[in-house]
Amino acid sequence: MTVINSIITVIGTLIVALLVSIWLPGIERKFIHARIQQRVGPPISSVGIMAPIKFFFKQTIIPNSPMPRLFNTLPIISLLSIIAIFLIIMPQLYIYTVLTSIIAVVGLLKVEEVIYVFMGSLSKSVMSLKMPFPDIVKGAKHYNIQRSFLEELSSLRAFRLIAFGSFPLYIALFVPVVMSKSIYIEGIVLYQQINGPILFTLAGVLGAIVFFIGYMILLNEYPFAILKTKADVIEGPLMEYAAKYRAYLYVTRGFLMFVLASVFTTLFLGIPPNLFSWNIFITIAVALIFPILMAIMSAFSPIFTYKQFYPTVAGFSIIGILAIIFTFI
Amino acid sequence: MEEDNKITDKKVIETEVTMGTVHSAAIEPYRVRLFVEDEIVRDAEITVGINHRGIERIMEGLPVEKANSLTEKICGICSNSHIWNSCLVAEKAIGIEVPERAQYIRVIMEELERLHSHMLYLAHGNEVLGHETFAMRLFYIRETVMELLRIIGGNRVQYGVSIIGGIRPRCELDEMRIQKIREGLNLIEEKITEFADRFVSDPMIMSRITGVGVLTQKQAIKLGATGPTLRSTGVGIDLRSEMESYAPFDFDIITQNDGDVKSNLLVRVLEIPEAIKIIRQALDNLPEGKITNRSWEMVDAPITKSYIEVPRGTLYHSYALEDGRVRNSIIRTPSIANIGAMQYATIGHHITDAQLAIVQCDPCFTCTDRAIQIIKI
Repeated sequence: MTVINSIITVIGTLIVALLVSIWLPGIERKFIHARIQQRVGPPISSVGIMAPIKFFFKQTIIPNSPMPRLFNTLPIISLLSIIAIFLIIMPQLYIYTVLTSIIAVVGLLKVEEVIYVFMGSLSKSVMSLKMPFPDIVKGAKHYNIQRSFLEELSSLRAFRLIAFGSFPLYIALFVPVVMSKSIYIEGIVLYQQINGPILFTLAGVLGAIVFFIGYMILLNEYPFAILKTKADVIEGPLMEYAAKYRAYLYVTRGFLMFVLASVFTTLFLGIPPNLFSWNIFITIAVALIFPILMAIMSAFSPIFTYKQFYPTVAGFSIIGILAIIFTFI
Repeated sequence: MEEDNKITDKKVIETEVTMGTVHSAAIEPYRVRLFVEDEIVRDAEITVGINHRGIERIMEGLPVEKANSLTEKICGICSNSHIWNSCLVAEKAIGIEVPERAQYIRVIMEELERLHSHMLYLAHGNEVLGHETFAMRLFYIRETVMELLRIIGGNRVQYGVSIIGGIRPRCELDEMRIQKIREGLNLIEEKITEFADRFVSDPMIMSRITGVGVLTQKQAIKLGATGPTLRSTGVGIDLRSEMESYAPFDFDIITQNDGDVKSNLLVRVLEIPEAIKIIRQALDNLPEGKITNRSWEMVDAPITKSYIEVPRGTLYHSYALEDGRVRNSIIRTPSIANIGAMQYATIGHHITDAQLAIVQCDPCFTCTDRAIQIIKI
């Protein structure tokens, strides 16, 4: 009976999470961006619900890629890795101690990041295609230079983001670890049930700020959207996704917003997602607050190039390290 | 070819990144080849000619009035500038004296066009920067200018105000129109001041635009840059100060010294109040009298030239008249003069800044596409 209850709780929570997450992009676009920019904006259901449904039923176009099947499978792998993160932080799975550790969360988040590198490497859109005849004008100074696809460029950027961009998020994830002296989610949650939420400590506040910046970087939101800058690489690694694979991407993004918020409530408030607990409303509230804050920040920011990106990441990483140091005080 | 590469490839060029002819950051069809090394642009080539319509060829042999109307179709943003300059060529060639009131109304139209062109430029610049909120805000402010243009000309674009010898009777400014223009100007001034304050005090924007796309004064002159692009490097050349139509008006020539994106944006921002100042002077001192001189007769004339200062720089029109028809028409828009500056400005900056460095020169490639050379492949 307990096993059945656990399965029902896990599946129920997952469904609720998916149902909430599909509204988040719409809320971000309609209520924040559009309001700030004094325009009507899209219908709230358009971005997260109607667009994926529409794309799901469109004709699938095989992209120009050396490995089209793998390329099309990547959004599904990304979605599955995020679902796995959500399962890990749920209390019903704490019995599998080794799996439900912060290391697993970090590893799965890395999978999500690495997928962008593959997406970019495997995509060759028409945007940078070389013609089968000399397509350079008379008087051109440079001939026979290797031409890079815009997606390859974004793939390179994704690689850089793995190297340095996600520092703040991972440092912030380790603040609760150091404070509770446990790498296991269960240990971190138990520590907070005894000592109160980590968020209400100085280290917790600093960690939360750093976590939020990492959240924005991971979601490639302005000003940290160098992976898909409209000024050069346009959609970046996602450019060639069409039909149902684009629908998966949309769903993944919305779900990632919810999952990261759930990770935050678990690690900083000691409230793991659980459908049959009133605390689920706190998780949902945080899942709503984060995109709203992110949308406000992004509406008032230009896109950062590396010149701004490096110092910002370095600065917030230092704050994250300070937060870890404060955990010892 | 090899020798060329030796000369230009002193730095190792690893990769070429091509943007266009269709690209989300480019509002017009053009292609830019960026030669990059670790995402830093080492050289650039801009190719235009994709939108060639052959307007000069179409003008050939047309009655001059009809040809003038056609020039308005060259550009949707500075349509008034083209028809005005084309009319100036005919007036100069035939020797027509334009009534003073018409001259004032032409200046009002031109300055309103400068307002909307600069606001469009600023909005596009902000969009390329990734600041959509400011871009939207500027489009919102620009709507007031578009409405004023509609009130005078009857259209949001291609107003058809100037005709040979003056302006069209439907574009006469009565008291109601003057009042609406004054109210609109007050609103624009208030909103644009508020925008400018927020823009220059935003550290994130300043960080993105300061020291990016730098064009030195020496290079700007060497590359033949014109208009606000040249003025952003500290060269105080504005053809309006030499134009007869602008003689009655007092205004300052705006210059900046750094030649970067920031300077370019600031020159345009600061030119907006100057344009408003000119319009107010024109409205305050609008002379009474007729708006069109119809007492002229067509004569044959050799090639006659006219230069005027338009929002993007110096605009050149020339043609000859033969039996009332246009011959040997040549048009040179400011953007063609600024292409060299655009290419130069991208060098040494990150790829993401390359489009910004191009946009800072306010390109209008659709009106630049004047002549085309067919190369046999």
